[in-house]
Amino acid sequence: MFRALMIAGLALFLPGACALGYSVFQGPSSWMTDAHTFWGTPISLFVFWIGLAHAGTLLSAVFLALDIRLDRRTALIAELSTLVSLAIAAVFPLMHLGVIENFYMVAPLLDARGNIANVRSPLVWDFCCIAVYAVLSLLFFATHLKARSYPALDMFRKPMAWLLFPLVLWVHTVVSLDFAATFVPEWRGAFFPVYFIAGAIFSGLALVNLLLCTEGYRVRLLERLQLICSWILCAIWIWDYMLKGSFCTSAFVFAGVLPQFRMVSAIRENKWGRVAISLSILLGLFLERQFLVSPEFGSPASSSLGWVDWGLLAFSAGAFVLLFWGIQYSLKRFMEVDGSYFGEVDGSDMAEVEEAELRDSPVVYGVEKSKKGFYVHPWSSEEYYVLRLPLLVGFAVTIAFMFWAIERLPFENVEFSLAHVVPLLYPLIALVAVIVLYARAYFVQKVFALHRLEKIVAAALLVLAGACAGTFYAGGSSEGSADARKSASEFGDLDLVGAAWNARCATCHGTDGKFNEKFVREFYPVPQKLDLQRVDSLGVDSLVNVVLNGRGNMNPYAGRLTYDEARALVNYMRSLAVRDSAVAASAAGKQEVANDSTP
Amino acid sequence: MGMDRREFIKSCSLVAMMGLLFGCRKVSLEALAAEPSLGQFEDEVKLAMSLSKKHLDLVRVPMPGMLDIPGASSVNRFGMAIDLDLCNGCGKCILACNVENNVPLVPAEDAGRGRFMHWVEMRGGAPLMCAHCGKAPCERVCPTGAANHTPDGLSAMMYKRCTGSRFCGANCPVQARKFNFNDARKLGLARQFNKEVPLRDKGVMEKCSLCLHRLQDDRLKFKRKVPACPADKGASLVCAA
Repeated sequence: MFRALMIAGLALFLPGACALGYSVFQGPSSWMTDAHTFWGTPISLFVFWIGLAHAGTLLSAVFLALDIRLDRRTALIAELSTLVSLAIAAVFPLMHLGVIENFYMVAPLLDARGNIANVRSPLVWDFCCIAVYAVLSLLFFATHLKARSYPALDMFRKPMAWLLFPLVLWVHTVVSLDFAATFVPEWRGAFFPVYFIAGAIFSGLALVNLLLCTEGYRVRLLERLQLICSWILCAIWIWDYMLKGSFCTSAFVFAGVLPQFRMVSAIRENKWGRVAISLSILLGLFLERQFLVSPEFGSPASSSLGWVDWGLLAFSAGAFVLLFWGIQYSLKRFMEVDGSYFGEVDGSDMAEVEEAELRDSPVVYGVEKSKKGFYVHPWSSEEYYVLRLPLLVGFAVTIAFMFWAIERLPFENVEFSLAHVVPLLYPLIALVAVIVLYARAYFVQKVFALHRLEKIVAAALLVLAGACAGTFYAGGSSEGSADARKSASEFGDLDLVGAAWNARCATCHGTDGKFNEKFVREFYPVPQKLDLQRVDSLGVDSLVNVVLNGRGNMNPYAGRLTYDEARALVNYMRSLAVRDSAVAASAAGKQEVANDSTP
Repeated sequence: MGMDRREFIKSCSLVAMMGLLFGCRKVSLEALAAEPSLGQFEDEVKLAMSLSKKHLDLVRVPMPGMLDIPGASSVNRFGMAIDLDLCNGCGKCILACNVENNVPLVPAEDAGRGRFMHWVEMRGGAPLMCAHCGKAPCERVCPTGAANHTPDGLSAMMYKRCTGSRFCGANCPVQARKFNFNDARKLGLARQFNKEVPLRDKGVMEKCSLCLHRLQDDRLKFKRKVPACPADKGASLVCAA
C-alpha cells in the first residue's frame, strides 16, 4: 500500500514539478490568467489548499473542545493533513508573485530605509495570520505526538483546541477578506467569510474521509457532516446566483449534486463509492475556486486551462501524497493506535474492540455528558484554569500593542492605525497565550522534557521570533559604523563628516554626491540631481529641514541625526557639488581650448 | 549495460567538455534583441483601438475625492482633464504616451487577447487612463506599499518595491493597471525613447504616472525662477501645473 501510494505520488509530483519549474521560469504568463484580475491557478490552488489546511485542525480541535470523541488515529490524520496542506498552500502565493525574490516585502518588517509593508492590505493580514496559524497547528500536532511519552501533556490539548477553534475561523475569515475587501463585483459581500469557512470545512471533510478510506475504515459522523456541508454550500451558491448571477455549473455538479448519492446505500456502503464521492467533491471545489478567482474564466479575454495549470494541480496532489504518507510512515511509532476508538468506526474488526471499550468505559463524553447532568460551568472547567493566566498575558500584550499602534506612522505613506491592525489582534492573543502556556508548562510545572535536538530547534525558533519582533519594531540596522558615528559628533572636520555621509547618505546619493546608480534604478521617479545650482537655489536651511523631516522618498532622519549633524552633512553635500561643478567647468574649459585649437 | 570504467570516464569527460565549450561561446545567453521601430508602435496602437473592449466602455470612474493620506499637500493637487467635446478619438495620445513613457510592445499572443501595455486606452471612443483616485483602491491593497500616493495627489509606483502580487490590478475599478508579463527588453519589444523614464522589469505592475518626470522638471524650473522674479510666481505655477 505504502509503496503504491509513493509511486502514485511520484507519478503526479514529478511532471507537476516540471510544470512548477516552467511557470517559475516563465512567470505568470504561463498559466491561465484572467485579463481583469491577473490572477489565476496558483491563487485558486492556494485558496483550495488553505481551506484543506484549516479544516483538519478545525475537525480535530473543535471535536476535542466540544468533547466529541474522535479516536487518536483519526485526529492525528486530520492534524497531519492540516500541516501538509499548509506547506503546500505556502508554495502557491510565492510562485504567484511576479518578482518572487521580493516576497519578503510582504512581511511587516521595517527595513533600514524605513519601508514597511502596507498594513492596510489584506495580503499582509493574510501573511501574518497564516504564519501564526502554522506555528500553532504545528505545536498542536507536536503536543499530540509528545503526549505518548508524557501523558500529562494531554491536559494541554484541550486548552490548545479552545485557542485554535476561534483562530481557524479568524484566519479563514482573513483569507476571505483578500476577496471581500476589494472592488471586484463578484467578490463583494459580507457573506464571504461564512462562505469560505463552509467551503473549507466541506473540502476538509472530503479529504479526511478520503484518507480514512485508504486507512481501511470509516467514521459515519464525518460522512454525515460532509453531506450537510454540501447542502450549506448549495444554498450559498444558489443565493450567490440570485444575488449576482454568477454560477459555476461544474462545481455545482461535482460538489453539490454528486455528493447527494451518499443517500444511496449501495454507493455509501461501497468503499470505492465513498472514494469517488470524496474525489468528486475535491475536484468540484477546486473548479469552484478557479471560477471564483477568475471572474472572467471562460470568456475570450482569459485563456483556458493549459498543461501548466493541470501540472500545478498534479504537483500539489503529488506533493500531498508524498509528504502525508512519508511523514506518517516515519512517525509510525508515535502514531500507533492505542485502542481508543471513536463511537462509529466500522468496516473492520476494530468495531468490536471499540464496542467493548465503550461498554467498559466509565467516562461519558460530549452530548451524553450534558444529557446526564454533567454540565460543567465554563468558569469552573479545567481548561479555564489552565488558560486563565496565558490568556490574561495575551490580552495584556495585545492591548499594549493596540495602544502602541494607534495612529502610528512607520512610513510616510503607510498608516499604522488601529483599524488596520484589528485583523491581527486575535492571532496575537493566541500566539502570546500559547507561548506563555508552554513556557509555564516547561519551566514552572515541568510537565515535559525536551531532547537536545528539540531544545535547539525551540531555541532557534524563539531567537527567530525575537528577531522578527525586533525588526518589526525598530527596523534593520541603519546605524552607521562606530567611526561614522564618532565623526558625526565631531562634525567640524570635513573628512569625518564625509565618513558620516558615506555611512548614511551614500547608499542613495552616491559617495560623490551624484547618484548612486542603484538608487536611480530602485526609485522612480528619479530624484533631482544635487548639483550646485539646485543646492544653492534651495538653501542650506531648507535642505537641513529635508534631511531632518524627510520629503517624498527621502526618509526623515530627525531621530537619528542632530540638527548640527544634519547641517554639517548639508555643507558637505554642497562642498561635493562645488567640487563637481569645478570639475565640470575645467572639463568645459578644456573642451573649449580643444575647440579653439582645432581650427 | 556493457559499459566499463574506461568508457564511463570517457563519456563523462566528453559531456564535461561539451559543457565547457558551451560556456565558452562568445554570444551571451541574454543578448538583447534589436529595438523595435516607431512604426511597430503605431501599428500596435491601431490594433489596440480596433480591439477595444466593449464591456469596458461604460465604467464608473470614482470622483477624485479629498486626498486622505498622511502628509497630503493642501496647496497642490495634480490632475488631468480631457475635453471630450474636442476629442475625436484618433488615438494619437496613446502613441504619444507610449513614446513618452517607454511603454513596451506586447507579443502577438498577448495582443490577440487584447492584453496591451498601453497606459492610455480607448474606452467607448474616448481616452482613459489611471484616474489617480483620492482614496485609491489599488494603494489600499498593495501589500508592499509600492503603489503609494505623492503628497500632491499622484498615484505613484515604486517599481523596485513591487513584488508583482497583482492585487492592485484586481482592485482597480477602471482596469488601468498593466502587468509586465514579458521581459520586453529580452524579447526586443521595448525601446527607451525617453531617457528620463526607466524601462520596467518583468513581473511588476505599471500604469499612468501623469508624466511625473515632467512635473518634476517643471518644478525645478519654477524653483530656479523664484529668486529671479518673485512677481512671476503665480504665472510660473500655472506653467508648472
